[in-house]
Amino acid sequence: MENFKIVRLDGTNLTTLKIIGFLDAHTAPTLEEAIQKLLDEEQVNILVDFKDLNYISSAGLGVFMGFIEEIRGKNGDIKMCSMSPKIYRVFDLLGFPTIYQIYERQEEALATFTQKSAPTSNE
Amino acid sequence: MRKIGPLSLILPLALFLGGILIDLNVLGGLLDSRALAYFREGFITLALILCLPIIYQQRWASDRNILRGLRSLFYLILGTFLLLLISNLEPFADQSLSTGRNVLYGSLVNYFILTAWALFSSLFVLVILGTLRNLIFIKQRKNTALHFLILILVLILYALLSITNLNDLDFRFSYRLSSENLGYILLFIVINLMVLNSFRVAWINYLNRKQKLTLFFGGLILVPLQWLLYIKFHTANPAALFSPVLGRFVDLGFLFLSIYISMAYIALVFHLPTAHLFDRQIKQLSSLHTLSRAISSEFNLDRLAETTVELAVQVTEADSGWLALAGEESASWRLAAARNLSAAEMERGVPEAIARWATSQLRPRLVNHVSRSELNVPMSLWKDDVQSVIAVPLESGGEAIGCLYVAKKLEYGFEQDDLDMLRAFSEQAVVAISNARLVESSLVRERLEQELRIAHDAQMKLLPKKMPQVPGITLEAVCRTANEVGGDYYDFFRIDATRLGLVIGDVSGKGASAAFIMAELKGIMEALAPKHHSPKELLIAANETLYGNIDRNIFVSLAYGIVDTGAMEITFCRAGQCPVLFAPAAGEKVQTLEPKGMGLGLDQGASFAQALEEYRQPYRAGDTFLFYTDGAVEARNARGEEFTETRLVSLFQRYHALPPRRLLSQLIEEIGGFVGSARSHDDLTFVILQAV
Repeated sequence: MENFKIVRLDGTNLTTLKIIGFLDAHTAPTLEEAIQKLLDEEQVNILVDFKDLNYISSAGLGVFMGFIEEIRGKNGDIKMCSMSPKIYRVFDLLGFPTIYQIYERQEEALATFTQKSAPTSNE
Repeated sequence: MRKIGPLSLILPLALFLGGILIDLNVLGGLLDSRALAYFREGFITLALILCLPIIYQQRWASDRNILRGLRSLFYLILGTFLLLLISNLEPFADQSLSTGRNVLYGSLVNYFILTAWALFSSLFVLVILGTLRNLIFIKQRKNTALHFLILILVLILYALLSITNLNDLDFRFSYRLSSENLGYILLFIVINLMVLNSFRVAWINYLNRKQKLTLFFGGLILVPLQWLLYIKFHTANPAALFSPVLGRFVDLGFLFLSIYISMAYIALVFHLPTAHLFDRQIKQLSSLHTLSRAISSEFNLDRLAETTVELAVQVTEADSGWLALAGEESASWRLAAARNLSAAEMERGVPEAIARWATSQLRPRLVNHVSRSELNVPMSLWKDDVQSVIAVPLESGGEAIGCLYVAKKLEYGFEQDDLDMLRAFSEQAVVAISNARLVESSLVRERLEQELRIAHDAQMKLLPKKMPQVPGITLEAVCRTANEVGGDYYDFFRIDATRLGLVIGDVSGKGASAAFIMAELKGIMEALAPKHHSPKELLIAANETLYGNIDRNIFVSLAYGIVDTGAMEITFCRAGQCPVLFAPAAGEKVQTLEPKGMGLGLDQGASFAQALEEYRQPYRAGDTFLFYTDGAVEARNARGEEFTETRLVSLFQRYHALPPRRLLSQLIEEIGGFVGSARSHDDLTFVILQAV
C-alpha cells in the first residue's frame, strides 16, 4: 500500500486539508473519513491543497464527487489549489474544472472563501 | 502363559483323586500307609505344581477395574471366614497334637471334611495368589515379574521341603524343617520376599478419592479379618493334616495375603490426605487433553473461545471466566466468550485498566485479594463479586493477541497450580486461535478472489468477440486486464452500411461494481447508437440515463465517435476520456485530438452538455487513429515512473504505419517492457482504426 497522509489546518472560517502522497482505492477511505469529520463538525468551507500529492486515481476523484452535493447544499464548497501539472491534467481531461474551482496558488483560493456566507460552526 | 483350559485341570485332578484313593485304601486297611505315604504325597505335590499356572491366568483385578477385583477378594475372604466360623476345625487342632493313623482321621466323615477343606483352601490360595499377582503387576517395573516368580519358587520349595517331615505331625503346624537352621533361613527369605513384593501397590494411584475412601473403610474390616483367618488357619490347618506340602503352601499363601493387604492398607492411608490433590491433577490432565482435542479441529473463533473458557472455569473450579481477543486496532478488546458474566458486564466489556494490567507483562498474573490490590477500583466498578482473579495473556509473536481470565468470589481461591494449568491452556489456545484466524483470512481472500474472477469473466463477456468488417477501414483492439478488475470497455455499433459507432471507456473504481456499471453502459449504448447520429446527442442522452443510476462518487470517462467510411471522416466526442491520437500516413507529426468534455455521471445534464464539444476529423487512406485509456499512460515500472503520454505519442509516431495488428503488439510489447516485473494496476486498452 502506498503512502498517504492528510494534514488539517483550521482557519477562521475554513479548513485546509493538505493531501500528501498517493490517493488511490486503498487510501481513499482516509480522505473520506477526514471530509466526513469536517461535515459532522459543520465545517463546510474546505480547501484542498494538492501541492504534495503525487498521484490520484478515479477512486480519489470519486471521494470529492461523493461529498460535493451535500457540502454545496449547506452553502459550503470544496475548492482546490496548488496542483502539479500532472495532477491538473487528470482533472482537466475529466472536465473537473467545470465542476470545481481550481486555483494555482493557495492565496487566491483563500481569498475567495472570505467572501462566502458566515460559517455555521460554533466556536 | 498358555491359556489354561478345563482339560489341563483334569490331570492334576486325577492325581489328586489318586492320592485320595490311596488314602481310602489305607483307611480301609487294604494298603500299608507308611510305604505309600511318599507316593501319595508325590501325587498331591505334582497336582499342586500342575495347578500353579492358575496363578498366571487369574482375571480378578487384572484390568483397570481394580475395585471390582478387590470386591471379589473381599467377598472370598469374608466367605471363608464365615465358613470357618460355621464349621468346627477344633477336632483338627486337637489331632494335630496326637500321632497315629486312626486318630489322625477319626472317621470317614472327618476324612472327607478334611479333604474338602484341603482342596478348598488350596484353591483359595491359588486364587489369592493370582489376584495378588495382578495387583502387583499393575504398572510393573523392570524386576516385578522376576521378584514375583522368585517368591513363588521359594514358596514351593519351602512347601516341598516339608516332605522330609512326612511322619512328624508337629512339624506340619510350624515353620520348622528337619534342619532347624535351614528352616529359619528359608522362612526369613520367604518373609522378605513377601514384603518386597508387597511394595508393589501402584494400583492405589489409579483410584479416585471416593474409591480410596471406600477401600479405607472396607480395609478396616478386611485387614483384621484376614489376619484372624491366617492365625486360625495356622493353628488348625486342615490342609496340613491332609498333606504337609499343601499345608505349608496354604499357610504361606495366607501369610502373603495378610502381609500384602496390610502393606497396601498402610500405603492407602498415606495416600488419603493428598487424594483430593491427586484427583485434581488427574482432572487437570484430562481437561488439557479434552481442550487439545476440542480445539485441534475447531476453526470457528467463537466456538474455540467458548470451549477454552468453559474448560478453564471447570478445571480451576472458578466462579466465572472470560476470554478477550484483541481487535484489529490494538486498543480494542472484544469479549469473545464468557461464563457467568451478567449481560451488563458483557456489554461493557473488559475495562481498559484491567486489560492493561493483564497484558502489560506478557506472563500470567494472579491476584488473590482484589480489594487490597491495584485492581480494586476498576474491578469493583465492573464486576464487584471478584476477589481472586487469574489473567493469562495469549501471546503470539511477542504481543498479546488476547487474554484468558478466571475469577472467584472468595479470596485466596487460586493457587500456583491453577496458574500453571491455565498457562498450558493458553499455549494451546494461542495456536488454535492463530490457526482459526489464518483460516478465516484465507477464506476471506478466497471469497474476494472469487468475486474478482466473476467480475473479470463478466467484463470479458461485454467486449466484442471479433472486429467488425467495414470496407475502407481496418480495426484492431485489445484489452489487457490488470490483476484487479479494472473498468475498461470498448465496443462497436453498426449504424448503417457505411457508418460505424465506436466507443472506448473507463468506469471509475474496480472490482465487481465496475463490471456491473460497464454492463449497464453497454446496454445504454446499444440502445442509443442506432438512433443517434450525433455523438454529442448520444452522450447527452447516455449521461442523463447513467447519472441517476450510479452512486455520486462513480463516473465514467468515455469517448464515442461515428466513423463515416463514405465521407471518410470521424466525428467524435471526448467525455472525460483520454485524447485521441491521429497519425496521418504521410509521416507528419502525430496530432493529439482533445475536444472539450466532461465525464459521464458527474453532472445531471446542463453543464455536461455545455462542456461537450463535438469534433470532426477527416482522414485519408493510410491514416491511423489510436484510442487508449489511462492504463497505458499510467503504467508504472518498478521505480514508480509512469509511461506518460509523451512516450506513448512518440511510440505511435514511430510505428503508426504498421498494420494495426502489428502496431498493437508493438505497443503492448513496449509498454510491457517498460513495466517489467512490476504489477499492473489498471487495464490496458487500445483501439486502432486504420484507413485502408
